[in-house]
Amino acid sequence: MRTRDSKKEALVIREAIEMLVRDGFQGFSMNKLAQASGISVATLYIYYRDKDDLIKKIGTDIGRKFMEKTLQGFDSKMHFAEGLKKQWENRAAFALKYPREIACYEILRHSNHGEVITDESLKGFKETMSVFTHNAIKNKELISVPVEVFWSIAYGPLYTLLRFHEEGKSIGGRPFKFSKKIMEETFRLVLKSLTP
Amino acid sequence: MTIDVSNILIFKTNIQTEFDKLRLKYVLDASHKVLKWSIDMEDVDHVLRIVSDSLTPDQIISVLDYVGFECAELD
Repeated sequence: MRTRDSKKEALVIREAIEMLVRDGFQGFSMNKLAQASGISVATLYIYYRDKDDLIKKIGTDIGRKFMEKTLQGFDSKMHFAEGLKKQWENRAAFALKYPREIACYEILRHSNHGEVITDESLKGFKETMSVFTHNAIKNKELISVPVEVFWSIAYGPLYTLLRFHEEGKSIGGRPFKFSKKIMEETFRLVLKSLTP
Repeated sequence: MTIDVSNILIFKTNIQTEFDKLRLKYVLDASHKVLKWSIDMEDVDHVLRIVSDSLTPDQIISVLDYVGFECAELD
């Protein structure tokens, strides 16, 4: 009798993420995945109804993991500077620990499953972050700007640094390594531009 | 709902078009012994997945054969 094996399932997910990052959405197939995971195609179909089912599950899993880590030790009632700092630390820790998951999530988010994945996985997260910024504006800890302006200033610099790190180099091919010191230096400037 | 994995049957088929799928739907939806079914049209093997606690693979193969589809169990 076939049984559902959680270790095997974890291996399948790991291989699927690897394959999606390496070959992209179009190059991904259930057959290739079964082969790479060392299981039969039939077993793979026991776990997942079809390719779309698998992709959606992987996407929502990564999203949920991201949300959990990002909200660790964070509270929407925190002072703006303290809360944003926590967000930076959590997001950086996640990106440094799970670079492939992030790359995969980005690919899936831009696929035709993107909406389902973000809706499913980020339930509650958007609300928490929205309460946090609204509180901060109300308490005069944050200036009021359009959400796109806020996001690109509040998180854009962090993700740029993390991308440099992931590529191992910054502009002009200069070698680059992310560090706490660089993060804090950048954070101070970000905070300066967002506070009244 | 959790599904007992021993009730999941997996087949390789030649169901390729939406029209094929519609014909398949008539057959499978008519049987109350088929609890759930889906087909991966994108896959090279056009994998058919059936959840049933009473049908055997051979019974499904003969039903599909009867309506003119090729079908073989994948293991």
